[in-house]
Amino acid sequence: MNIILSIAKTTIGEAVRRRILLVILLIGTLFLVVAPSLNMLTARQETTVLKGLTLGVIQITSAVIALVLTVYMLPNEVERRTIYTILSKPVQRWQFLLGKYLGAIGALGLMIGLMTFTLLFVYAAMQGDKKPPLPISLFIADLIALVAMTGRLKDKAMGQVVIGIMAAGLMGILIWLGVQSDQLDTFSEFARTGAMFYVQMCLLAAVGVFFSTFASPVVNFFLSGGVYMVGSLFNTLFDSVSKNADMPTFAKYAVKTIQSIVPNFQNFNVQNSVVNPTQIIRGEAFHYINLAGYGIAYISILLIIAILIFDKKEV
Amino acid sequence: MSLVIETNNLTKTYKSKGGRPIDVVKDLDLRVERGEIYGFLGPNGAGKTTTIKILLGIIHATHGEAKVLDKYAGDIEAHKKLAYLPERPYYYEHMTGLEIMHFYASLFRIRDDKLCKDLLERVNLQNDMNRPIGEYSKGMQQRVGLAQSLLNDPELLFLDEPTGGLDPLAHKEVRDLILQFRDEGRTVFISSHELSEVERICNRVAIINKGRVIKQGNLVELLTGARVEMVFRGLSPDKAKEFASGDAVISSSGDTVTVDMADTGETNGIVDAVRSAGASVVSIVPRRMRLEDLFVESVREVNSPATAEVTA
Repeated sequence: MNIILSIAKTTIGEAVRRRILLVILLIGTLFLVVAPSLNMLTARQETTVLKGLTLGVIQITSAVIALVLTVYMLPNEVERRTIYTILSKPVQRWQFLLGKYLGAIGALGLMIGLMTFTLLFVYAAMQGDKKPPLPISLFIADLIALVAMTGRLKDKAMGQVVIGIMAAGLMGILIWLGVQSDQLDTFSEFARTGAMFYVQMCLLAAVGVFFSTFASPVVNFFLSGGVYMVGSLFNTLFDSVSKNADMPTFAKYAVKTIQSIVPNFQNFNVQNSVVNPTQIIRGEAFHYINLAGYGIAYISILLIIAILIFDKKEV
Repeated sequence: MSLVIETNNLTKTYKSKGGRPIDVVKDLDLRVERGEIYGFLGPNGAGKTTTIKILLGIIHATHGEAKVLDKYAGDIEAHKKLAYLPERPYYYEHMTGLEIMHFYASLFRIRDDKLCKDLLERVNLQNDMNRPIGEYSKGMQQRVGLAQSLLNDPELLFLDEPTGGLDPLAHKEVRDLILQFRDEGRTVFISSHELSEVERICNRVAIINKGRVIKQGNLVELLTGARVEMVFRGLSPDKAKEFASGDAVISSSGDTVTVDMADTGETNGIVDAVRSAGASVVSIVPRRMRLEDLFVESVREVNSPATAEVTA
């Protein structure tokens, strides 16, 4: 486990310094901050549209990050020969691949977490006259201090403790903001939606890692992107085809085969309950556990196949 | 002497884009003994890196077998006792020299800050260990590579072009380190183009071309006695030509004639003939070839159309 975690940690370190990923993240985060100023709709529409829009931005940004992060992961290691120094040590290939994957989803978690955090803050800050200035000021001060201190503390262990305390402080202030503006429920819904996006992106990352064991980065980008599109957008269409009595049998079988192979990314889009608070999910906790289980099962299958392919691959 | 690397009929075949099989390594038999510095030489595309990758288990042989430290190539147990430094290694640039050492140590499940620092000190990086690798020169990166390769106190080191692209000072530092490794009883397997470097430090070499070993053996034996230089007194250059072999280079100065020719084992006969002709022998010296000459001669021999025809 130590080996896998070491590889994962190094992968996170690399990922959070990749300029292309940071640019994508910056664009996404900026959009989340700027979105409320597009104030041309009525109050009710504004809130509904804004929630849908900002969650959509997080989803698209996360998907692009997941793809860019994973399609170059193995080819970069081969091109820069880092894989050779690692595999010549007593490291099994499955440990290497699993470490890389865990590192990728670790970096994804940080990035999705940052965007969800930004969204929560923006949403709290725009709560009209309920807007409490003290928590917001504290939040901004803590955030600035956190960013300023990251990477500047010489003593690593102490630095991690300080950063941990400040991050917990941010969370605390955010919860206080939620309580002050009577929006704690909405906050928790946002957080749950963010968490489901994260599982969705972990699944997409597993698809990317799977294809990266045999496809070039460009081909992988389109293959993984294609699987994500099919799994996100076409399930309603597939359902209507399989239920349509007029459709030929082979078409129904074809659709069923695609549906059973391609993971259903649409399952994880739980933002409807956030955008339309009137919508209620029955047995909510069970539903989310079920979703997470579905994601983990698919991820495990993809990673096992990827490991089997990678084990035979000549790098 | 025990063998640390042994290959028998090792063959690696790839398919070309047209589907034609190409033997990158063909029937390779290597024997590397414990405690020696073994030079693995060959022109570009000869199959050197492919062979190293097979020995490390990174790729698999099509035929034949390869054993490293008495285990089949790729065995994790063997990996615990070997180290590999690839050509122009790259390290995660955001990490400092010390962090890189900790990372590679963790792959051996070693948590020893002092060991990491000591090894960096051994390669003279004690003052730069907290700087990011991205700020290191090529020579410094190579030294980090050598330091990380010692983390597991390896019995066998694979070094692929260890001095490639380094300035003369860095060259010397790396060379001295490799000699230290040998003195510590480690076996060093060097793949290199730097023939003068190999000639200085290697005990034995193998020259490969087009995936086949074309010369293998003790370096001193390979380079000594290939040519012989004979100096005669009282012999005319024309007369010397009658005795010498076809490729002889004959020069004269005063009443002495120098004959530089391939040592074909006819030296005694030539001496007798020279004495019968009334001349005297001043000296007979076996001339040591340079490794570069041996390399070029061996590779050209294999690449010549006549040999190619026979091989085909």
